[in-house]
Amino acid sequence: MLSRLGSALATAIVIGFGMFVVASLLLGREGGQIYIFGATINLYEITNLLLQLTVITIAVTILLGIFNLFSVHLRRVGQRAGGWVYSVVLIVSAAAVLVLWIIGRQDVNRVLLDTVQLSVESALSGLIVFALVYGAYRMMRRRVTWSAVLFTLALLVILIGSLPLPQIAWLTDFRAWLLAVPVSAGARGILLGIALATVVTAVRVLIGQDRSYRE
Amino acid sequence: MESTTQVLTTLIILFTLVCSVIVTQFIRRRSTSFPMRAIPAYDSIPMMTGAAVEAGRPIHVSLGSTGLGGSSTPLTLASAELFYQVTTRNLSGSTVLTLSDPSALPVAYGTLRHAYATRRERLGNSTVRWYPNGERSLSFAAALTGVLGDDKVSGNVLVGSFGPEIALVLEAATRRRQSSIAGSADLDGQAVAYGMADQVLIGEELFVAGAYLGGSATQRGSIVTLDLLRWLLILAILIAAANSLREPVIQALTQAGGG
Repeated sequence: MLSRLGSALATAIVIGFGMFVVASLLLGREGGQIYIFGATINLYEITNLLLQLTVITIAVTILLGIFNLFSVHLRRVGQRAGGWVYSVVLIVSAAAVLVLWIIGRQDVNRVLLDTVQLSVESALSGLIVFALVYGAYRMMRRRVTWSAVLFTLALLVILIGSLPLPQIAWLTDFRAWLLAVPVSAGARGILLGIALATVVTAVRVLIGQDRSYRE
Repeated sequence: MESTTQVLTTLIILFTLVCSVIVTQFIRRRSTSFPMRAIPAYDSIPMMTGAAVEAGRPIHVSLGSTGLGGSSTPLTLASAELFYQVTTRNLSGSTVLTLSDPSALPVAYGTLRHAYATRRERLGNSTVRWYPNGERSLSFAAALTGVLGDDKVSGNVLVGSFGPEIALVLEAATRRRQSSIAGSADLDGQAVAYGMADQVLIGEELFVAGAYLGGSATQRGSIVTLDLLRWLLILAILIAAANSLREPVIQALTQAGGG
């Protein structure tokens, strides 16, 4: 009973605040002025305040994240779960960075970031190319369909067309056309689909049909 | 906001609102109306969860870098719905949820607590895992490859926002013979997922998990609304194209008639 009441209350709050924010954002700063008992209230200002509260609440979730990080990895170390050594490294690194930040040694943090984090990430980004080539090979081996052939051909044209060789200038032109017309059109189509689905999902949340936030 | 944009946005929101309500009522009365096309990625989820339960291994689901408070909020909620559906089908097994945006943590916990409502003991403290990173950071992908190996997961559902770094995760999944379903709102990540995942979700397919796996009238109503909006957009594009072609065609015809 209490759970249902809580759920209904959460839904009512979401619908109420959601509708209010959407309406005031659509009305804008000038159109959002209302007069109640001789006083002028600007809905836009209230919306700004609500949005600032949201930003602050979201910023607080970083604390939840840090708690989650330590809780998960301390448990893994305690249980000697697979890869627990990596968890030890993670806990020590995270604790060291926090301590360095608290004692005001951001310069050491910067050195750690530049020498360790960036180097490791650069190495990983180099691996992505091999993973992609292997992915294309695997796709052709798994199922030779028209779309798979088209995908691989487009990949080859884009890769070979990037080479600075005068003998394949026609391929470079074809690559430029491919990127400007069919690829761009396809990308816009996907983005339009995502945008429409975003609108529909947002409206469903606003009218309480979607309750992903509920327990 | 510019006045034309204001009017258009208001019209789109009102149209979506009215359509959602009307279509939902219509589907409630006639549930067989509006058949949905098959999406292989959603069709494969019962198989994936069945294999995980049989093997006694967890399913790994990941939101990537989506979170709350920005333009990716609806995507976060839609992905949470998918993860809820996957988890409820895998109640005998376990689920590991990873994410990199801390703002999505409350949604992740809420989704799994709701899914495990009847079996709260299965919701462990390590079920939701936050791996901090920046936008498009490779450290998150590296952490996920570790999860795939350390937890010996059975299958992966990566739906949210991922960049090309998703290639590392999918490659690790393939190497370990783990099934994968992937989809990303980021186009680079989407292209990589298309080439490397077993099943892929493209564009608006990311948002319709509730309708395909939940199947309630309201969720199916959203698909019909989405289709109506899509057809209206196509119509608008065609009209705009015809309008922009009108002048040159008339000029060409006039010149041809004069010549």
